[in-house]
Amino acid sequence: MEILQSFGIQPLLLAAQIVNFLVLLFILKRFLYKPILKVLADRKEKIAESLKNAEEIEKRLLQIGIDREKKLKEASLEATKMLEDATKTGDQIIKESHNKAALDIKKLVEKAETQMKQDREKMNQEVKQHLADLLVLSFEKLADKVLSEKDQKEMIRKSIEEIKYD
Amino acid sequence: METISLVADKIGQIGPVPVTNTLLVSWIVSVFLIIISLIATRKVSLVPTPLQNFFEFIIDTGYAQVEDLSHDKAKVIFPLVMTFFLFIICANWIGLLPGFGTIGFRELKDGKEVFVPIFRSINADLNMTLALALVSAVATHVLAIKYLGIWDYLKRWVSLNPIFLFVGILEIISEFTKIISLSFRLFGNIFAGEVVLATVSSIFAFFVPLPFYFLELIVGFVQAAVFMMLTLVFIVLLTEKHGEEH
Repeated sequence: MEILQSFGIQPLLLAAQIVNFLVLLFILKRFLYKPILKVLADRKEKIAESLKNAEEIEKRLLQIGIDREKKLKEASLEATKMLEDATKTGDQIIKESHNKAALDIKKLVEKAETQMKQDREKMNQEVKQHLADLLVLSFEKLADKVLSEKDQKEMIRKSIEEIKYD
Repeated sequence: METISLVADKIGQIGPVPVTNTLLVSWIVSVFLIIISLIATRKVSLVPTPLQNFFEFIIDTGYAQVEDLSHDKAKVIFPLVMTFFLFIICANWIGLLPGFGTIGFRELKDGKEVFVPIFRSINADLNMTLALALVSAVATHVLAIKYLGIWDYLKRWVSLNPIFLFVGILEIISEFTKIISLSFRLFGNIFAGEVVLATVSSIFAFFVPLPFYFLELIVGFVQAAVFMMLTLVFIVLLTEKHGEEH
């Protein structure tokens, strides 16, 4: 082992280096590789989870968009329908009111006509009465001077009758 | 011009262990790595600090690499090969810092006064690279036994069939070759780099060594990656069932 001698190999030195290396190996394993590998694994897991979450969120967002569109469409349809209904109903109401108003007016007119007829008749009657009274009075005044009481009465009676039957 | 010796110089003694300049630097590298990783993971959070982010990048890349080759065994293999990578690349790059090989003292040795640097790039010492290669080899075989069971593990080396027995012997030799190739490849590259840098610096110390420093940066990374990948491949090969390979 002369060659080892010439390279300065000494068992104790060799052992010292080996022990040194093993200690380093142990410490690095405990304090460097383990925590770093753990954090790497953790991060990997977290990223995977986040990605999964993001995907799910995106999916849900898409679903929400679709839902909203659907709802909007439905609502729009409903509104159109309601509008149509309302228009129809309104038309009907207007038509009905028109009819009713026409009927009412007709009734009113009829009533007014009847009333007017009645009033006119009544007025006629009254005028005739007044006229008769006036005539009687004027005849009395006139006849007082020309006719006898008997003639007077006769004439008045005749006149009144005439007026009455006129 | 100071020549660089093949052997790392001794700068002290703790108990029975001679402390060489490379051993000192390997401690420095270890402490540096430990401190920086403690800072990086002091408050680990999903939103990382820049340092945490940096280590996450390295570890993520390394783990993907290991997982590519070893699949379900990655969790066990990863710490070992990643530590090889981090330790070797830090060692190689720290060895390029100013002060390495230049700060030192003079000492009498064999009647001659020689220069002893306090810091030396640690992979320019065969002790270090051989230690790493041994760890790699032992870990390979331990993991092989762990995943195959002792019986399947032994079947690779020993067989009643003469042809496979011969193949088994070749494989045993190749296991030793692996150790030698791993250690000498790393040692040779870094030591050669040191020598090149020292030589070029001694020719003209300003600007001229810069391209070589850049080259050494690349070499430092490549050697760390090669050591890591080779260890990974060896482990994966040995932990696979023998029958499945043929």
